[in-house]
Amino acid sequence: MARSKELVPGVGRFSRSQVFARRGLWKGPKKSEKPAATEKPAFVEKVVGGDKNGGKRLVPTSKAPRIYPAEDVRQPKKSRKTPQPAHLRSSISPGTVLILLAGRFRGKRVVFLKQLASGLLLVTGPYKVNGVPLRRVNQAYVIATSTKVDISGVTIDEKFNDSYFAKAPVKGARSAEEEFFEDGKPKAKEAFPESKSADQKAIDQPIVASIQKVNDLVKYLKASWGLSKGQYPHQLVF
Amino acid sequence: MGFTEYQVVGRHLPTEHEPTPKIYRMRIFAPNEVVAKSRFWYFLRQLKKVKKASGEIIGVNVIHEKKPIKIKNFGIWLRYDSRSGTHNMYKEFRDLSRTDAVKSLYQDMAARHRARFRSIHILRVVEVQKTDDIRRPYIRQLLEPKLRFPLPHRVAKSRSLFVARRPNTF
Amino acid sequence: MSDSNFKRFVEVGRVVLLNKGPSNGKIAVISEIIDHTRAIVDGPTTDVPRQSFPYKHLTLTPIVVAGLPRGAGSGVIKKFVEKEGTVEKWEKSAWAQKRLALEKRRKLDDFGRFKVLLAKKQRRDVVRKSLHKAKKA
Repeated sequence: MARSKELVPGVGRFSRSQVFARRGLWKGPKKSEKPAATEKPAFVEKVVGGDKNGGKRLVPTSKAPRIYPAEDVRQPKKSRKTPQPAHLRSSISPGTVLILLAGRFRGKRVVFLKQLASGLLLVTGPYKVNGVPLRRVNQAYVIATSTKVDISGVTIDEKFNDSYFAKAPVKGARSAEEEFFEDGKPKAKEAFPESKSADQKAIDQPIVASIQKVNDLVKYLKASWGLSKGQYPHQLVF
Repeated sequence: MGFTEYQVVGRHLPTEHEPTPKIYRMRIFAPNEVVAKSRFWYFLRQLKKVKKASGEIIGVNVIHEKKPIKIKNFGIWLRYDSRSGTHNMYKEFRDLSRTDAVKSLYQDMAARHRARFRSIHILRVVEVQKTDDIRRPYIRQLLEPKLRFPLPHRVAKSRSLFVARRPNTF
Repeated sequence: MSDSNFKRFVEVGRVVLLNKGPSNGKIAVISEIIDHTRAIVDGPTTDVPRQSFPYKHLTLTPIVVAGLPRGAGSGVIKKFVEKEGTVEKWEKSAWAQKRLALEKRRKLDDFGRFKVLLAKKQRRDVVRKSLHKAKKA
């Protein structure tokens, strides 16, 4: 009767601790020796001043709590699971043309470069072709097409990681007024960092070159995608 | 629900009085082996002084159709209990197998006479070899040598849920 | 029956298009009629195994394999079909061509569909320009 037979799918007959007790794994030989704990004395003798106090007193090393909670609060179970980065869909590989389905650039066709450590996909328009910059997208909001762009000439630097795209932290609290106005006028727009636009150009240049080699591919990437009457995405081939 | 044809063999248990009882064999159409055995005892009880408690089943085999792709004409004799009495009947079916014919028989009896499985006894299922021996006109009409007929009233199904025109059905 | 208004009949030798099941979209020949709802169809040259098939799930084509004896086996049917060139006749028919084109369109990927769009645009352009010219003249 060691088995915790399922009452309903997902719910066993016995609790976690009951199963542990029934499996009897705790009975087996110990695999590792516990480090010998140095025993702390329960009481410490302390010298006390004052004539009538007897000179010294035994004081407990750990003080007992003065009050106890009236109600028992359950400790939440600690999860031992760690999030794993998402697996890349088998239809996506470097160079695949993706259709973005959500966000500011929804409907755009972009080129996939690589998957980042967080599981997000690094894509580029290229910016020159359809205005989509180097960008991270979740693969859940993407349709992978069977079209591929040759990106063998592109070297993607290690610096294009998740922190490259992170926002600069704002120091201290700022009021909304401070954030948008300056001298009673709307703030001038901050210039796009020079280094980032240079990175964009460096990455896009060989991609654009290889796109131009294929007929109509530039037009294809420039055009945005959509469904017309009678078209259903599950029936289409991409 | 399809039917399977079973051969069920059984006998009375050997006793001091009768050490070698007679062995009985039946061909039974049933949805599964359990029903086949049950029907075997039901029929045997009516015919001989043997019942399940004092008998045993020796074997149950499935009888397969020899030529399951050849069209045959079957004559089926049956007995059924209607609400007012018991009737004997003869019906003909054109089918690929004996079990298919029996299935259509049960469907036909249910449709025309509201007869259930329990009120129908199949007496005999025979393949009618000669065209001249076919008795029923509804089977005879299919045996015409140059048989041909159109398929009228074919309604084309529309792909969309809402259409401006009604479907043309003639 | 000779003065019937109908053009296509269920008959031995009639070529049919199957619309359901594993042989969906293939053609076969009626080898024998079972009853008013189904027949035995067989397509030894089109990968259709001999089977009973309901009329509900097939369409009659205008093609008939002439002189096919009733209840002919797969071998005989194959001989007749090859002699008459039935499959070629079917493949040449406008119906089969249209089906083929439709299937080709359905199998196009996204880039393929885009190229079709461009080609259509181009065609429209040529037509409109020439129409304009013809109107002026």
